[in-house]
Amino acid sequence: MRHHIQNKIYHVEILPPKQDSEKLEADLELFANKYARVMESGYCACITDNAMGNLAFQGTEMIQELDLPVYPEQVMIHLNTFHTKENLDEILNTCIEKGIKYLLVVSGDGSERLPKLKPSDIGAEGVESVTSVELLKYINREYKDKFVLGVAFNPYEPEDHEFEKMERKIAAGATFIITQPIIEKNPVVDKLLEKYPDVPVIVEAWMSKKLHLLSDAVGYTIPETTEYDPIATLKMLHKIYPKCGVYLALLGFKTQFDLIKDTWVSE
Amino acid sequence: MKIVVCIKQVPATNDAKIDPETKRIVREGQKAILNPFDTYAVEEGVRLKEKFGGEVIVITMGPPKAEAVLCEAISAGADRGILLSDRAFAGSDTWATSYVLAKAIEKIGDVDLVICGKQAIDGDTAQVGPGIAAHLDWMQATYVMAVDSVEDKNITVKRMHEEGYDVCELQLPAVLTVVKDINTPRIPTLKGRLAAQKCEIPVWKPEDIGAEPDKIGLNGSPTRVVKTQPPEPRQTKTIRIEGTPQECARALVRELRLRSLV
Repeated sequence: MRHHIQNKIYHVEILPPKQDSEKLEADLELFANKYARVMESGYCACITDNAMGNLAFQGTEMIQELDLPVYPEQVMIHLNTFHTKENLDEILNTCIEKGIKYLLVVSGDGSERLPKLKPSDIGAEGVESVTSVELLKYINREYKDKFVLGVAFNPYEPEDHEFEKMERKIAAGATFIITQPIIEKNPVVDKLLEKYPDVPVIVEAWMSKKLHLLSDAVGYTIPETTEYDPIATLKMLHKIYPKCGVYLALLGFKTQFDLIKDTWVSE
Repeated sequence: MKIVVCIKQVPATNDAKIDPETKRIVREGQKAILNPFDTYAVEEGVRLKEKFGGEVIVITMGPPKAEAVLCEAISAGADRGILLSDRAFAGSDTWATSYVLAKAIEKIGDVDLVICGKQAIDGDTAQVGPGIAAHLDWMQATYVMAVDSVEDKNITVKRMHEEGYDVCELQLPAVLTVVKDINTPRIPTLKGRLAAQKCEIPVWKPEDIGAEPDKIGLNGSPTRVVKTQPPEPRQTKTIRIEGTPQECARALVRELRLRSLV
């Protein structure tokens, strides 16, 4: 992951089509186009896993069914705990088969329709439910040395709790961290960088103008009347966190993609 | 096993509107989905097929656009679908609907098991499954929460009720209606969705299934709806609990107990 930061490789989020899409063919084409643009640009495509609990197709099945090329340094799959054991292993085996090595392991939002891994499914003992920690342990145990595993960090959660969780995530095998979106210098992220100087940290930049969604993500209300310029915020994040990578959430491929190539300016 | 799963397309809303003239649910302009309880029926059918071999056929009665829910069921593992669609079916109550479905099941032939969701979220009657069993004169078990075994033309199921469950043995062919405790429906794969888009759904009309005209549609429906109105929306109230974490936890448990929620 250091390599990504040193070579200014953006992590670009791509959302697969939703399960209830009424224009599936068009959505698949759009996904394939976005993926191709990310590959051509040398960035890393980060494919979400039922983001916000919305039922969507899996990143691995998108790559398989659309026969998309995988360049190992350029693909990251999100993986949450809302799967059956069978489905989890299928995803992991497809990743190995396709050469996908980067996984972002998260607990996930879930929904009524999604099955949740049970501790007994993945040999987790002494816990009542499966979180990203148990999932990391399982992957590291059953798929040793096959993946580079990352985890999420939420600077808006109670700090002590979040750092305690992070400790367990690192102990379970996480080797890189991606934050929730930040829109300014964040003291909790600063502490994270101080505490884990050897772990690559990627800060999330919010590229959408939909502030209500950003409010949901950060956990406090950002007034809709706030002037928000995603590109300016992105440039600012590079200045504040020059040693971090950047994950671009909800990037506008039509209006923003061509603008980002000049945004990663070193000090 | 030859398994038929009866499914229904319903409005995707909790805010149902009712036509004051016809007393029927207004479906125009509403997004339509597969009845959530039917997803459990489809999943159970597919699981039984995977265990015992055979075929899962999904059927539905409705307008041409109801084909979408058949495709969805096929993408979730059903083998094929049949749409029962004709103007003559319009206005059918649960008795006439179950008659039409029963006639279709007879036409399919050699069916071992029929599975339905416990009820549809639009009508909430829970009558169609039992109605099919009555028309076919087959054994039935409603509110099934588990299929324990299938052996020698017998099926053993757990049937949920308020105080627990009954274990019932039924002779096949039989009709089951299932509750959501029975399984966790799989999420359709992209491969399944793409394959389902290419599948061809035959449309059967009354003459295809030998349905008698006076037993279908309004003519075949003994039910007369005299008045329908949506229920009052549920009143919600937010309570903010303050204090130390221990105090908050205690207060929360107390509030939940007062409402018999724990």
